[in-house]
This record gives sequence, C-alpha cells and structure tokens, in this order.
Amino acid sequence: MMADPTVLEKIERDVAATQARILDYKMVTFTLAGKDYGIDIMSVKEIAKFANFTYVPNTAPFVRGVYNLRGDIISIIDLRLMFNLPVPQKTADTAENGLILRTESNVVGVIVDSIDKVVSISSEAIQPPHPIFGDINIKYISGVVEHDDRLYIILDADRVFVKGAEKADPSRVPAEIVDPRANDRVFQPEQVHESYRVGDFIEQELFTLKGFTVSPVNRLWFLNRLQEWKTKYEGAQITDAEAAQEFLTTFTSRNRERLWPAAYLDSIRSSMKEPDGTLINVWAPDCGAGYEAYSIACAMKRAFVHKQIKVWASDTDLMRISSAPNLVFTQSEIAEEYDEWIVQGKNGPTCSNDFKEMILFEYSDALHSTSLPKMHAVVMRDVLSFLDEQQQNRFFSLLEEMIRPEGILILGDNEQPVDSASWVEVDDTNLTIFRKRA
Amino acid sequence: MRVEYINPFVESAYNVLKEVLQCEVNRGELSLKSTSMPVLGVAAIVGLAGDVEGRVLFDMSRDTAIKVASAMLESMDMEAITELNDMGRATITELANMITGQAVTKLHNLNFKFDLTPPAIFTGDNMEVSNPDVEALIVPIELPMGKIEINVAVRERT
Amino acid sequence: MRFGKERKIMKTKQDFPTINERPAAGQKPDGSAYRVLVVDDSVFVTKQISQILSSEGFEIVGTAENGEVGVEKYQELYPNVDLVTMDITMPKMDGVSALEKIIEFDSNAKIVMISALGKQDLVKKSLLIGAKNYIVKPLDRKKVLERIVLSLQ
Repeated sequence: MMADPTVLEKIERDVAATQARILDYKMVTFTLAGKDYGIDIMSVKEIAKFANFTYVPNTAPFVRGVYNLRGDIISIIDLRLMFNLPVPQKTADTAENGLILRTESNVVGVIVDSIDKVVSISSEAIQPPHPIFGDINIKYISGVVEHDDRLYIILDADRVFVKGAEKADPSRVPAEIVDPRANDRVFQPEQVHESYRVGDFIEQELFTLKGFTVSPVNRLWFLNRLQEWKTKYEGAQITDAEAAQEFLTTFTSRNRERLWPAAYLDSIRSSMKEPDGTLINVWAPDCGAGYEAYSIACAMKRAFVHKQIKVWASDTDLMRISSAPNLVFTQSEIAEEYDEWIVQGKNGPTCSNDFKEMILFEYSDALHSTSLPKMHAVVMRDVLSFLDEQQQNRFFSLLEEMIRPEGILILGDNEQPVDSASWVEVDDTNLTIFRKRA
Repeated sequence: MRVEYINPFVESAYNVLKEVLQCEVNRGELSLKSTSMPVLGVAAIVGLAGDVEGRVLFDMSRDTAIKVASAMLESMDMEAITELNDMGRATITELANMITGQAVTKLHNLNFKFDLTPPAIFTGDNMEVSNPDVEALIVPIELPMGKIEINVAVRERT
Repeated sequence: MRFGKERKIMKTKQDFPTINERPAAGQKPDGSAYRVLVVDDSVFVTKQISQILSSEGFEIVGTAENGEVGVEKYQELYPNVDLVTMDITMPKMDGVSALEKIIEFDSNAKIVMISALGKQDLVKKSLLIGAKNYIVKPLDRKKVLERIVLSLQ
C-alpha cells in the first residue's frame, strides 16, 4: 500500500474543504426570557444600550418610545412585550440592552434581555421552525439552529418590522399613561461604551475567523493594536478573514516557520544557567511543522555541548507532525551554526540522523501530557494565543508543574504569562523568554 | 504517539482486512483520545512490549464481530456463525493477531523493536476502557459488516 | 487455503479414479495416512489446519490447546504420531518450550512451528532446537502442504 500518505492527505483536505464551506451565515445572538435567539447579522446595524426613550402615546404597548439615533428618530420595540414574555424589572436609569435593526427602508430599535455574541454557522444547519421550539408565535421565527450545544431560535427581522409598524389599538393602551412631557428627553447612545462595543466585536471575529483568543496572554498587544486599528480605519469592524489576518499581522512572532537565526541560538545560551545532571529535557508542544523543535535542539546542543538533549515535540495536526521527522529546509535559511547537523537528502537539506535522535515527534494532544519528565525549557511561540481561554489556563497549570525552577519558557513576541508572579522576564531582544522563579 | 508508529498500524489494518475479508475497506480520519473510552461490545486486545509499553485494542459491536468472523470462516469453507461462540471469538482474536503482527514486523524494519503479547478478547455491554496517562490513537475502519475502531495506546519506555 | 471467495472444489479419487492419479500428500507409501498432532491455542487455527490436512488425506490424531497438553498427548500417542504442528504463542507452556520437551522425549520427533508475524526470533530459536520447518500465518493451503510434506522427508 504505497499510496497511504496521499490517501491520508486527501482525507484531511476533504475535511478542511467541508469545514471551509460551512460558515456562511452569521447571526447576532441574544436572550429573551432565558432562551437563546439569533438574528441575521445583515439585519443588524449596531448593538446599543437604550435609556430614557421618549414615550409616544397611541402606539402598541410594546413600543417603548422613540429614540434619537444620531439625528434619525427611530421606534424602540421591546421584544419581550411584543412576544408576551416576562420583563425583568429595571430602575428608570438603567439602560436596556438592544439592537438597531434595519431593512432597505426601515430602521428600528429592539430591546432584549442581553446580547451574547456573533456566531457563525452553516446555513445548511438551519432547520425549519416548529411551534414546540419557541415561546413566541411561529410566524416570527425563520428557523432554528443548534450551535455549541445551544439551541438558537432565529427571528425573522422583516416580520418584526411589520408588527412594529402596526397602528395602536386604543383599547390596548394601558390605563396608566405617563405624562409624555415628563419623559420627553432625547437621549444619545452612551459614548463611553463605544470603543468597548467595537473591541468586543473584533475579539469575537478574531476568534471566529482565526481562532485567536484575546486574553491576558496578549491583551497588552491587543489594546495597542485596537487603538492603531481604529485610528487607521475609523473604528471599522472586521468583516472577513482577510481583515482579521491584517489585524493579526503585528502579532506574529519573527522567524516563525523557519530555522532560528544564529542570534536566537545565542539568546538561549545566555538566558539559561548550566543545569545539573547529564540530560536536558525540552518541551515543544504544538510545534507545527517542527522548525521550533529543530531550532531549540540546536540551540541547546550548542549551549551545553556535553549534555544529552531530548526534545519532546508534539502536535495534533496529523499531516504537519507526520512530515516533521523528514522536514526539508530552504538552504538560504540555514545559518552556518547548523551545518554540522545538516545532510543533503534527495529533496534538499535535512537534519542528520544523529541530530534527529534528539527529537521525539509525536502525534499527541499536549494537554494530555501527564507522563513527561520535568523540563528545563519549554518553547511555545504564538501557541497559547490560538487556544481558547480554558485551554490556556490548563496549559499554565501544566507548565507550573512541568518546568523546573530556573527553567525557561519561550513565548511569542507579543505574549506573556497569565500569572506574572511565578515568572521573571529575561532581557533579550530576540526571543521572549521567562524564567521560572526558584 | 510517535509519528513513525502511525503508518505501520494504519497500513497493516488496511492490508490484512482487505486480504482476509475481500471487501471494501474504508479508513476514517485519525484522532486522539485520552479519557476513558466506551467499548462497542467486543474488544480484542493485543499487548505491546519492547521499545514501548502499551496495547492495541480492536473494538467492534457484537453484530460486526459475528459478521466479520463469518466472512473469514466462509472464505475457508467453514460454516458461518450466528452468535459469538468460541469459534467466533477465536477468529476475531486471530484477526487482531494478524494485524498487530504485521504492524510489528513493519516497525521492526524501521528499527523499532516491538513485541506482541498473547491477545485477549472481552465481550460485554457497557464496557469502558481507560488507560490513565496514555493517550490513544484511534483508527476508524468502515466495513460493509460495520465499524471496527482500532485503538492504539503506547508509551515510550524511557 | 488462501482467504478468499474462490473455493477449491475438492475432487476425490471416486470422481476421477484414473485420470492424473497421484497419491494424496497425506498418504504414506504403504497407503496408510500420516498421523498429525495439532497443538494450538486458537480454535480457529486448529480447525483451519485440520481442514487443510484432512482434505489431503492426513489423519488428525489429536489436538492440544497449549504446550503442556501438547507434550502430554505426544507422549500418550507415541509412537503413533508422524508429525506435530506447534503454535509458538500459547498460554501455560509456549511452543518453544513444548518443542524442547518433545525432542527430549523423542529425538526423532518431526515438528513444524506455526507462527504469527513478528516472532522471527523465536522461529529461529525453534529451528536451532530441532524443529523441522515453520509456517507463518495467515495460513495458505499451498504453503502449509508444502512445508508439511518437506518436513516428513
């Protein structure tokens, strides 16, 4: 069966293609009376907080009033009142959570219990509505979809508009009419929340489009970048993968996906004290194609000539990790410091067998690593930022246990440990190195 | 699991099943599991020793086991079985042995010294297999008779 | 017999008494059958070998599910066993130890080792101890008969 590697390749490609097709529908999700709802993002102009509307008589009870949206007067509909759902009590001053919806010709504001996030799904996964799913009349539901273990009822924005435009039935106006003049104030959206809302959306998009999680690991970089971005593009949202990619360009560490230059190898030497014992253990979780593993192995071997080096490298991307033992380099990217371990293979320069014996490449989930020895060094550049927050925290617990005191942790250029108490940053211009406190 | 170990198991499973069952054999996507895994109903386990410690588990439903064993028996002019009797169990065990044996031979040729220990077969409902500390590589195989999941968990002997 | 859908239709002497007459592999020159003891822990493999050999006129005089029983049976049946097929991996007593014991008991014993892939070292050891030949699983009718016939010479 000589075709095996290509059969595996094909299987991987088919899966990736299917996944790429999938996310073609985006919705803003929110809650009403404890249930999850969604609405097509194309219908949403923006997220807003409403307070102190101007009450207008002779409108249906669910019309809370009108609102001045930067010069345009729009109606504000309370969806909970419209659908006869319970309305949580709020004091007069507390702003309500809402969305500004729009069609070709209309704009209306709707009030909900809380706004959740933007979710990307496959339109194929949307199922037709069934009365059993919702508390609300089925005519307002365009479909239902399951995502991430939650069931979302997708509202038909157009039907909401039609209902919202209905003339009031005088017999249904509540007996207690508040004096219009008492509430006749025109209110502007809170400026304070503006950047928060834009940032929130961007965080969401970075995660959805690129798997990048904004967290304490990279928040410093993110906030700076956000400022830059808003100035450059005047607060524009990230709407597609290309924009997300551009946002992230200043995040990516230097010299990724290639062998480290000589200066980096020296940085390792100067950041580490010569360890005791004869064996140096290094962990390279999520090493991808393997460049980081080869680089750190070389750095350690040069720094500690007489010690035995063992690099434990792993990744869950089967294709990349399977090719790692036979990685072929670009001749021009090989600093001369590597020469003694490079041999010419039939496809180009690769590492000699002697060198490769130092590295164990495993198809493995790094978070399952309970039986590894204690490490003198861990290299994971730009890895944490592409894990979700729960995984990041689990990694840090693992690192606490796994790295010896005085051991080093090498993160991406724009990353830092979550808990700075245990780590001291090593002064180095090339790599971002933290030493574990003794 | 060390990347070099993967292909020998994947190829041997495919080769032996194709030869022995003479039917369509489809491989699913590989994956990793670390928590306790429910067993489909019949589990044939072959131990591994040598450069590593661990085991290979062949997991299938009772129904699939009966069909696979019957196919093997019939191709040798023996009678098919209708329930998983001694002959059925012995046949599935033999299959597990053959696949693991071929993988071990391929690994030998790559300079990895593995050894097999005699197989055991377990049948039951609601069984679970768990190996604390060791991650398992899952190789799903689709046959006309049903699914066989090959579950390889090995750890380098340090 | 190879695994596979093609089945060999066994013709017996009664069907074609004189055309291409040849003695069955399991037949001794004097007309009686070679007597075989099958030692294997797998019901499946035992059945397989028995079928292949009986179809060629061999007589299966006994089976044993492990090395210990195998040695006992050989001693009981002696001298009425012409050949033993011995699986290498068995519980209680493995094939190599059983081989040793039987040869100790009868230095002229003819034993063929049956082995799964991956046990090359043990096969070599067996041949050095005195096994006549070996067959690697999966079992193939042609191969089995060839090796058995060779071992009987």
